[in-house]
Amino acid sequence: MSYQWEILRVNLSSGKAMREPLNRAWAEKYFGGRGLGAKYLYEELKGGVDPLSPYNKIILATGPLSGTIVPCSGKLAVISKSPATGAIVDSSIGGTFASQLKFAGYDLLIIEGRAKKPVYVNIKDDAVEIHSAGHLWGKGIGETERALHEKHGANTAVLSIGPAGENLVPFSCAGSENRQAGRGGIGSIMGSKNLKAITCSGSKDVTVPDMLRFLELIKRLMHEDVLSNTNQWVYLTGTPMIVDMSNAAGILPTRNYQDGMFEGARNINAERIQNLRPEKRACFTCALGCGNYLRFKGGGVEGPEYETLALAGSGCGIDNLEAIARFNAECDELGMDTISLGNVISFAMEMTEKGIKDFGLRFGDVATYLKMPHLVAFKEGIGQELSLGVRQLSQRYGGEEFAMQVKGLELPGYDPRGSWGMGLAYATASRGGCHMSAWPVADEAFGKVNPFTIEGKAQMVITGQHYNAIKFSLILCDFWALSLDTMSQIMSCVLNRDVPVSELEVAGERIWNMLRLFNVREGFKITDDSLPERIFKDALKSGTPAGRVLPREQFDTMLQEYYQLRGWDREGIPTPEKLAQLNV
Amino acid sequence: MKLILNEEKCTGCKICELICSATHRGVFNPEKAHIKITFNDIRTASEKQLKACTLCLVCMKNCPAEAISFNGKWLMVDSELCTGCGQCVDICPEGVIHMDNNEKAAVPDFCQGNPSCIEWCPHQALSKAESAA
Repeated sequence: MSYQWEILRVNLSSGKAMREPLNRAWAEKYFGGRGLGAKYLYEELKGGVDPLSPYNKIILATGPLSGTIVPCSGKLAVISKSPATGAIVDSSIGGTFASQLKFAGYDLLIIEGRAKKPVYVNIKDDAVEIHSAGHLWGKGIGETERALHEKHGANTAVLSIGPAGENLVPFSCAGSENRQAGRGGIGSIMGSKNLKAITCSGSKDVTVPDMLRFLELIKRLMHEDVLSNTNQWVYLTGTPMIVDMSNAAGILPTRNYQDGMFEGARNINAERIQNLRPEKRACFTCALGCGNYLRFKGGGVEGPEYETLALAGSGCGIDNLEAIARFNAECDELGMDTISLGNVISFAMEMTEKGIKDFGLRFGDVATYLKMPHLVAFKEGIGQELSLGVRQLSQRYGGEEFAMQVKGLELPGYDPRGSWGMGLAYATASRGGCHMSAWPVADEAFGKVNPFTIEGKAQMVITGQHYNAIKFSLILCDFWALSLDTMSQIMSCVLNRDVPVSELEVAGERIWNMLRLFNVREGFKITDDSLPERIFKDALKSGTPAGRVLPREQFDTMLQEYYQLRGWDREGIPTPEKLAQLNV
Repeated sequence: MKLILNEEKCTGCKICELICSATHRGVFNPEKAHIKITFNDIRTASEKQLKACTLCLVCMKNCPAEAISFNGKWLMVDSELCTGCGQCVDICPEGVIHMDNNEKAAVPDFCQGNPSCIEWCPHQALSKAESAA
């Protein structure tokens, strides 16, 4: 019920696929998605494994809600050890893959080993086959997907990588249906395994214990909650709405975080995108539909989303919407994370303009900017160096103080100098500079909480991290702003037992500690829970946060308060008592 | 009666397929739905098409057991007569007839006049029209 109680394990070295029962005890404690994937990865990997070696694994995790009619439950979590950070990464992707995997009869898919030659894995219910992907190697994600649709049917979900993943770019992604598991280099992990794609279609039932009661609940939630005004922005504008919000709050990354307000913001905001009349698209069983499909001469793109507009737009000093859309489309096809590549380019632009190292890139130079995705994905020319990512580039050439990354993962689009809690969220996120662990910016820069104080922020970040940990484990999309109480109602119905809010809160904390344990085993230390120097030293220039930094002493105090509230020691290691209490 | 899709409003979320199989079969399984939304290209969700009963009555006309009938609004199956041969499943041009758990034909009945897909569509992309066969 709700689970299929089965996982599929495919070993690419031996070419064998095996079905095995889902670990019920773990499912009870970690549910699915981010949490259950992290638990499996922690238990199955040895510490210190090279992320691009055959010993790393990729876990594709659905959750108890996948395949059901619960709105916004179409996401798949991809969990592995990241080559960009050496930390655990979980990256989620929408579309239809998660539901197809569930309909095929699996809660989890675990990929291990390394194929000798390029392959793709085809899953059709119980039948699992490994096919040669020699003819697909070198092709873009869309091209690969179309070829595999032709062969296996249009209803088959395809998760694939592009040339960037094949060439082991550390910020390469996997894509499906114009969406991406973007962060942490999932594409390169697949590439290192010679795994071009996974295709999946299923015809099995997904069931719930009491269908009538379940439908009654979901119908009520659909009208009272999902389709209420709170969530309407998702459909009406989608994430580009945040451009104006960030700019107004003075936290829109501009020219590699040298400023927080961009003079060209109005050229790349939601209004401009809506004026182009995008087609609206939703993931499987999403009642909202955040996708804006834009067409331009010679192509189209689902997006650009806010993060792309920020990092590959204002971050690079570019306010040409069509250029950003083309850049976005190319990154999607080549299989690269636009957040990281945007950061890499803007870092190289600043390095060039400051005369530290000439990459031939300048802020606002559209023509050169548009050449970068190809050069980086194929590691040609300066792309060879840019493909190192911001951290390694700065270690090699300097500029470390404005290398905008945490733990090796480039920062997303919310400047923490104007949202101090967000700084703590970035510093403590398990996958590095990440906006999907907690999002205090909603209350600070976009809300009523004073962004320029550390008071109460440690608790705010912790609460957010637990909330997202459980939400991304069930697995639900970020964009449905549902309460823990609503989650509790859904889960009680789906599991046919009382699942109180307190249980979800504890599970969220357990999952967070699990992620931390993984990174502790990999040798991460308190010094890794930090932020780029620029955040501590260079004041923002515009708007409300003008003149502001996040002072380092204040940050350190906030971090210690965070550890203490978490029941971790002063070095940020979970204490045995805390782990016992949480039954990790 | 027939179902009509407003392509502009449809986001391709497939909630219609899920509610159909849930209502009729008590499970979530798009393969068992009497409605399908297909795309020319799933990547862009372009050229959406609705697959649903058009009341062409090909199934009824070709049923060797004469188990399928038409009441003027929707199809019905006499499960006493149905032999479970599956001809209707194969012949349905829309692909929306299936075999049920008892190996009898499950034919589209527009939820007896109040299709749950219309009720559940979050963007009011589905509507119904009365029409004679």
